[in-house]
Amino acid sequence: MEDIAIVAFAQTKSYRRFPESEPALLMGLVNQVLSETGLERREIDFTIAGSCDYLSGMPFAFISNVDAFGAWPPVYESHVEMDGAWALFEGFVRLQIGDIDTCLVAGSGKSSPGRPREIFPLQGDPYYHAPLGLDPVSMAGLQAQRLLDAGKATERDFAEVVSRSRRDGLANPYAQVAADVSPDELLKAPYYASPLRKHDLPPISDGAAIVLLARGDRARALSRTPVWIRGIDHRIESHHPGLRDLTDLPGLRTSAKKLAIHSAPIDVAELCVRYSPEEVVIRDALGLGRDTRVNPSGGPLCGHPVMATGLTRVVEAARRIASGEARRAIAHAASGAALQQNLLCVLEGGA
Amino acid sequence: MSLPPRQFTLEYPYTRTVGPVVGKFLTGLRDGRLFGIRCRGKVICPPVESDPETGETLAHDFVPVGPGGVVESFTWIAEPTRKHPFQRPFAFALIRLDGADTPIVHAVSADGPEAMAKGLRVRAQYRDERKSAITDVYFVPEAGSRDSFVPTGEGEVQITDHLISLVYEEPLTASRERYAKGLLAGKFIGQKSPVSGKVFVPSSGYDPLERCLMTEQDDVELPTTGTVVGFTVITPVQYYGQKETEPYIRASVLLDGADTPLGQQDIRDIPVGEFRVGLRVRAEFRPPAQRNVDELSNRWAGTGSCIARWVPTGEPDVPLEQLKGGLF
Amino acid sequence: MERCAVVGIGQSKYSKRSAEHSIDGLVRVAALRALEDAELTFKDIDAIVIGKAPDALEGVIMPELSLADALGAVGKPIHRVHTAGSVGASTAISACTLVESGMYERVLTVCYEKQSDGNATWALGGGRSGSQGAGGSFAPWIRQYIANSGAPEHIGWKVAVKDRKNALRNPYAHLHLPDISIEKVKESPMLWDPLHFLESCPSSDGAAAMVLTNSAGARRAPRPPAWVIAHAKRTETIQFPGRDTVKPQAGVECAKALYKKAGITDPRKQIDCAELYVPFSWYEPMWLEGHLLCEEGEGWKLTDSGATELGGDFPVNMSGGVLSSNPIGASGMIRCLEAASQVRGTAGDYQVEGARIALGHAYGGGANYFAMWIVSSEPAPTF
Repeated sequence: MEDIAIVAFAQTKSYRRFPESEPALLMGLVNQVLSETGLERREIDFTIAGSCDYLSGMPFAFISNVDAFGAWPPVYESHVEMDGAWALFEGFVRLQIGDIDTCLVAGSGKSSPGRPREIFPLQGDPYYHAPLGLDPVSMAGLQAQRLLDAGKATERDFAEVVSRSRRDGLANPYAQVAADVSPDELLKAPYYASPLRKHDLPPISDGAAIVLLARGDRARALSRTPVWIRGIDHRIESHHPGLRDLTDLPGLRTSAKKLAIHSAPIDVAELCVRYSPEEVVIRDALGLGRDTRVNPSGGPLCGHPVMATGLTRVVEAARRIASGEARRAIAHAASGAALQQNLLCVLEGGA
Repeated sequence: MSLPPRQFTLEYPYTRTVGPVVGKFLTGLRDGRLFGIRCRGKVICPPVESDPETGETLAHDFVPVGPGGVVESFTWIAEPTRKHPFQRPFAFALIRLDGADTPIVHAVSADGPEAMAKGLRVRAQYRDERKSAITDVYFVPEAGSRDSFVPTGEGEVQITDHLISLVYEEPLTASRERYAKGLLAGKFIGQKSPVSGKVFVPSSGYDPLERCLMTEQDDVELPTTGTVVGFTVITPVQYYGQKETEPYIRASVLLDGADTPLGQQDIRDIPVGEFRVGLRVRAEFRPPAQRNVDELSNRWAGTGSCIARWVPTGEPDVPLEQLKGGLF
Repeated sequence: MERCAVVGIGQSKYSKRSAEHSIDGLVRVAALRALEDAELTFKDIDAIVIGKAPDALEGVIMPELSLADALGAVGKPIHRVHTAGSVGASTAISACTLVESGMYERVLTVCYEKQSDGNATWALGGGRSGSQGAGGSFAPWIRQYIANSGAPEHIGWKVAVKDRKNALRNPYAHLHLPDISIEKVKESPMLWDPLHFLESCPSSDGAAAMVLTNSAGARRAPRPPAWVIAHAKRTETIQFPGRDTVKPQAGVECAKALYKKAGITDPRKQIDCAELYVPFSWYEPMWLEGHLLCEEGEGWKLTDSGATELGGDFPVNMSGGVLSSNPIGASGMIRCLEAASQVRGTAGDYQVEGARIALGHAYGGGANYFAMWIVSSEPAPTF
């Protein structure tokens, strides 16, 4: 296995509405990582981006984002219609081949123009789910209720996730929503999609994130604080909510085992908690102890730039390793309603 | 004063062929019946084409299930979206129909969240007007349910219709708004890159070659004259939402001083026989009161309905060699 | 680096409407055929890579989610590539890198489009009235090619006839037009001047799949593998001052990188046959030039000479090509798998005798995306 490290990273704030275009959102980040590493555009061997056309309602919207990365003279690049975390996966895989050294990874999305709750039912089975308008919020509600029914969580647990996350968000300059509210206060709010309350949901956000990967000695040359990706793995569950145990993520358990996440202490875990009950499910599948520091950034509950949210978890974890605050971290990304698909990576500092 | 945000509806009436398994289920709904499919001894509902664990194709061993069943779990939707089956609060529930081993997710109509419970028995109700879709059925607490006669239809359902309609609303970006206002004022406003000096019209608000954002200071006004750099004659294909019926020229015009052409220019006043690459043209704007930029958005440039027509200037054609590159 | 080889190929019959299938059913047709060809089952697969063009074609967002069960992906990695019209080849390349990385041994890759569920012209136009369709975007550049090269008007018609005649030998092809002729093409309605209806690709439903594996897997495979000896992708900014849309530089550089990786110095001679992405007739001569298979201005002459016919010196689109079947998301993968069929010797009635080296190609967007691969009957062919 080649040693692959994150040598630079950048993210935008999560905006309720970013007034300029998605390429404009990304362009500043690209320039930032190039400037930080002193790399010329032509020294980026492979560029891989994640985005979703339906957020903007424009087929082929992703083509404009190429403007942000720069593609003249022509470049080697590709695109996944998924969160940038899966672009990270493609980049990591590509670098393993050993013939190229650097890779720019991006994730971006503007959720502000559309109505996410009306758009995302289209991720559902086109015959059985989509025509019901079965949306991710409703699915999260079902998942949450399953947790309560199974005795795996209480409503207070959900409120505590929100309280802690939004409070942590106060210290995060990129956060969109942050507040100091107690679980007791939160529990007074009415249900929105029971047992979820409005505060259990992520905000609607525009945003982007970028990670620059490099291989081996090149990584060491480009950064004094390389963040090594020790492993990356992703798996998907069955699509039909009736065919899976919504309170568990067998695929994520497999990933955790495969990556041996508990072979050493985990200082920070950035998890893609889009709805507060998801934290319970993810923690359980990962076997995280109560004392593991989860989402010091505040997580997606403080800012949810869809298609960049997962990659942002990687950025937030990498940030803490690069600063020396953490030695080893895990970052998790999710795709699909009720955590149908999960990606996990292990990050480590050091030479 | 800002131009209003642009609204765009992405809408299409999809018609999906469903295959034999979904088809069986939807045929059942049409006829007031529910079916599951056998998979390694278990009955899965709604029926799927393959074993979720092994990927093997399932035999078409359909099993009648329901009409009653048990709520395994539910969420009460306090504020339904426009796409939900009910426009008043209702529940999405995982319902294990009698005879099925796995629950189906569907909507339950009940008086309030207090009327819902884990373990509640519910019963299928069929809509009077059924469309061979999953929305033909819904569920209610068994106690309040009614038995209705659902006549059996002819043949097997092979197609299900799905009208997908999504609304998007986005204010114009700063540079696009200035471009749009320019058009309303009878002008072409482009932007000149502070790095390369290249002029883009319409501008996307940045120079893609230099990767630099541009500001109002980079705005430039261009003449209304230019050269045709590319065109085709489009014979319209009819599709949902298509308004065009007659063939028309679609051209790109490179305004004098611009480095990127103005695309999507529909030419209806110059005969095809007289239209050519290299032709010198001038834009005639509509009278101010008739200019409209509603069609113009961040994603779609063009010139809205501001230009009445392009007319030949009468100048000699620009030689083709001078036009190499920049057709698009 | 691990080597990658194609050991299984599967396709659905391409048609205007796959009326008997749901989307799940359609992708499974191709996936199951590819697995059967490789004598493997879903259980043997370590990862799945799917690709397709814009989700608006079917109105299903991120279909890897709703197709996970149908593709035997539960508990496994699955991801979805999207690079516009070139996606089929980009997906094949992505899947190939999963094997080459050493991280996955057996990868199933599937591309599809069920565009009859919706409307391609509507989707390609972003859902607005007045969509010019793909042909409308390319027609002005085709006009420019014709003006630059002085090519006679019949070249496009000749390509249209050749590819449809080839398709008659391909049971999977959508268009089987036994009466196709130059006159018929010429008389067919004009769609986007100068492209007549019969010079344009059909709108098709269909799925295409391959099983890729490493050298160990290739040596164990029941049927001859097609070794991937090189792949390349290049993208250029879609609009910028002075952009050459007739012979895009990204296309030239993609070809150069590809040939260099393969050790090919004289592509026209050293490649035995090619499946080029030609959705509109004139793109055959344009890509012959655009990918350095001949000199600039000579592409139409190569076509006119008959060299690109099935029995010619440099057969192009032996399967009938995109002109005969175009499920947009799958077309690029079909080019890649048809190249693989040629070097495996499984191309049936359109087999190029002794094909040892074959090129698979796709382009997309505003002709600013390119993805290509070269496959061989040998793991390390010399030239």
